[in-house]
Amino acid sequence: MLVYTVISGILFGLFCSLMGIGLNLIFGVMRFVNLAHGDFLMLGAFGAYFAYTLYGISPAISVVINMIVMIVIGALIYYAFVPRLLRSRDPEMLSLIFFFGISQVIEALSVIFFTNNPRSIDWSALGTANYQLFGQSFQESWVVSALISVIAIVLVYFYLYHTKLGYATRAVMGSLDEAASSGINVHRVSAWAMGIGLALAAAAGALSPFFLGSITPNMGSDITTTSFSIIIIGSLGNPLGTVIGGLIYGLSSMFMQSYIPSWANLVPYLLLFLILLFKPSGLLGKVVRHA
Amino acid sequence: MDTLLEATAINTGYGQLQVLWDNEIIVGKSERVVLLGANGAGKTTLLKAIMGLIPLWSGSIVFDGDHLEKKRTDERFQSGVSYMSEMGVIAGLTVEENLLIGGYYLNKQAQKQQLEKMYEQFPDLKQKRKNAGGSLSGGQRKMLGVAKALMSQPKLLVMDEPSAGLSPLFVKEVIDFLIKSTEESNLSLLIAEQNVKFLEIADRVYVLDGGRITFSGTVLELVANDAVKRAYFGLEGS
Repeated sequence: MLVYTVISGILFGLFCSLMGIGLNLIFGVMRFVNLAHGDFLMLGAFGAYFAYTLYGISPAISVVINMIVMIVIGALIYYAFVPRLLRSRDPEMLSLIFFFGISQVIEALSVIFFTNNPRSIDWSALGTANYQLFGQSFQESWVVSALISVIAIVLVYFYLYHTKLGYATRAVMGSLDEAASSGINVHRVSAWAMGIGLALAAAAGALSPFFLGSITPNMGSDITTTSFSIIIIGSLGNPLGTVIGGLIYGLSSMFMQSYIPSWANLVPYLLLFLILLFKPSGLLGKVVRHA
Repeated sequence: MDTLLEATAINTGYGQLQVLWDNEIIVGKSERVVLLGANGAGKTTLLKAIMGLIPLWSGSIVFDGDHLEKKRTDERFQSGVSYMSEMGVIAGLTVEENLLIGGYYLNKQAQKQQLEKMYEQFPDLKQKRKNAGGSLSGGQRKMLGVAKALMSQPKLLVMDEPSAGLSPLFVKEVIDFLIKSTEESNLSLLIAEQNVKFLEIADRVYVLDGGRITFSGTVLELVANDAVKRAYFGLEGS
């Protein structure tokens, strides 16, 4: 039981890391909390659901399709709205209201078009084999989803640390003014970050039916809350800290479900309280030396 | 004197609070200009307005014949105006990444050449190339800030309080380096400072007080000005 719980916690935690990393990237670059994060994930989930049920497209392929579509949508949303928000007197507060509005619109339209009926993708959509890990048997869908999550996270790492746009993204995360006055087009970098952030959410959405069970149009707000807990645990504004947050959340969640299942839903809130009380900057929050 | 930067009738502030009133500042080619002012005089605000980091309420900024008012900060930078803020570096990036960001819009080869040049001039930075900018001491951070700002081979380097947080020894080091840099190239300097040591390198001086330019002239003229002497040198006028 213990070994099974630990391994399933790690697999789930990797998925959770993917679930939160896009939210953290957007926050890190723009200092906006995307309250519609879970709704974009939900759209990704429905995209994968319809792609599979109507055209037989594997959710693994849907991950890629979702990402491409969301990069474009993210960049469009950025250029259409965000520069206006930034020019306002209180961009942070206005952005909260804006993304809350976007969340409500997405949810309402999704109820109209998809209805409130729960949907799910067959477990066999990502393979029917059972994998033996440390003597424990796991469905292929979980293992493949966790692997896809790892690949996506590695790509984020590669983008941030080994590309010119990634350096620029980290510079904007560090200081918007310093980045702009070093010749970086902050709007271009932010538009990419918005697109990539939403793309990662939609990628997690395509895998969510395998970890979260059924999908519905109103699943978004719970996912936003969970994702927010995950990124607070790791470190707000540090996308790679999300991996730590995701693993801690995944393991805690699996332990609760295995040993005290009726308390499992409290996990994100308990972790949030604990981290805010004892390490408000997150586990990977860095201390900057002051002269 | 050929004019490089001409900022005229600059009015700006934060929200509805006006900080600068009708400021005018001119920097010539290869000229070293010091903007002297106490804390809260509006020095940083004026530099930020020139860089486009805060919106200009009114006025004009012409750099090397081009109007900058409507240009974004990164476009102003690419015109040849580099800026070193009081912090100077991006704390979360390594020393080398900070330098690469300084030369962000250069092509790869030019970036590499500039990087090597900076490492030659600042051997300490080469040793600490993998260290985070935020882990450096105050003096090292200023050196990194200067090197980062020079990576793009600017025509004008705008510096905000380069002496802030530095010991007198490091201040001298920064001044010596700036003298060397300007003599080797045609670099112009606009330095906002409250440390009068920087007058050593100034061709001309502006004094900013309460958001208004109250003096403009050479260092000799400044020293002869009783009001300025009282304010900045603690001396009584004769």
